[in-house]
Amino acid sequence: MNQREYLLRQAELIFSELNYLIRLLYHTEDYYQKNLLLNQVWNKISQLQFIHQLIVYHLPPIPALVPAPPVPTVPIQPMQPEIPRAIPPNVFTRDQLARFNGKNGNPAYVAVNGMVYDVTNHKGWSAATHFGLTAGKDLTKEFASCHAGQQWILGTLIPVGRLV
Amino acid sequence: MQQEYVLPPEPVSNEAIAKRLTDAARAEIHSGRLQKKNFVWLELTGCSGNIISMMNGTNPDLEYAITSMVNLVYSNSLMAAEGEKAIEKLMEALQGEFILAVEGAVALRNNGLYHVIGNWQGQPLTALQAAKMLGERASHVIAVGACATHGGPSAAKPNPAQCVGLQSVLDRKVIQLPGCPCHPDWFLGTLAHLLMYGEPEMDNLNRPLMFYSTSLHDRCPRKHFFDKGIFAKTLGEPTCLFKLGCRGPVTRIDCPTRLWNGYVSWPIEASTCIGCSQFGFPDQMAPFVVYDITRE
Repeated sequence: MNQREYLLRQAELIFSELNYLIRLLYHTEDYYQKNLLLNQVWNKISQLQFIHQLIVYHLPPIPALVPAPPVPTVPIQPMQPEIPRAIPPNVFTRDQLARFNGKNGNPAYVAVNGMVYDVTNHKGWSAATHFGLTAGKDLTKEFASCHAGQQWILGTLIPVGRLV
Repeated sequence: MQQEYVLPPEPVSNEAIAKRLTDAARAEIHSGRLQKKNFVWLELTGCSGNIISMMNGTNPDLEYAITSMVNLVYSNSLMAAEGEKAIEKLMEALQGEFILAVEGAVALRNNGLYHVIGNWQGQPLTALQAAKMLGERASHVIAVGACATHGGPSAAKPNPAQCVGLQSVLDRKVIQLPGCPCHPDWFLGTLAHLLMYGEPEMDNLNRPLMFYSTSLHDRCPRKHFFDKGIFAKTLGEPTCLFKLGCRGPVTRIDCPTRLWNGYVSWPIEASTCIGCSQFGFPDQMAPFVVYDITRE
């Protein structure tokens, strides 16, 4: 089975899953269940979109879709880090931290409450900036003023060391 | 809240949805349960971009909106009257019930004298006075566009006229429709909802959830490239524009499914999202595009 056939086969599978979900939606009374199903429909459709774009644009390397079993690739997002949440022993001074500003190919690091986090690929930090803030700094105050009571956000970031 | 879903095979295109709503509105008007309300469009410190955007509306168009949905009393861009005659219409509107839409920020400097919108009885009428006077008496107030909702480009640094959003000068609920400009559907949809069902469901920043509930990033056709870490290095590439400064992940709006200019395209087709529908635009959304980027 070549790459194209494989993609078309995947698309067909998604179409039948979509049909199944739509039938299910008609028979579900519960509001929350419906929302869940709609969300699944949405996911399936974005998968279809992805496959479609792969076929149209013929991206040369398709590492994620070449292997036969459809194993999801490791997400680059820090949502479910593979690494254990132990804090790496790295220590940063403010000057060292300033180098990690996301420019010139450097990663983007920010410090909050004495911890340094990697936000290079965090979706809220496109171009290593976030609502006018730039990476490479201690943003404890800014975090407290905008995300008071949202400590869970820190739990989703990748820790890379401590700030001294 | 219990909601009625419209599912395939029923048509769910923009046109079909608009038709269902229009039919419902016609039936309401026919039965006499719905009456046209007076409507004031106040233009303060801005670029008139929102009223121009409204003219791009298709379901319904602006003409239908201002003739059949509401009774347009004042809009300095659209009305025939000018000078004191126009302001007279504005003062007449104050006597009765009316819905107020405001575009543009409120200039505070020198007690509002940095923006005079007309003359009334020989005295200059400032944007600040008009915003307070009308805002306090309107049955509903809708802030349309970035400037009216949070200052937007009018309040961008160094902000010489000391512009602020409408909410800063009004001590009442203001429905916020950020966007630069506001999409005709966001405004006309909110107005239609007000007329037919009252206030729409809103989030903690008073943005209607029917338009502003979901981040643009979550429905972006390029999202799978983000999930797989495939990033564009130039604007022409079809992959994720995150590294170039796309603000989609921090912007809650329905652009990916609604589309612009008669539902044909939207910003991500050509460049990054600049976060125009997010509070803090443009200063907090800068830089719009960068090439000096992080590694993958």
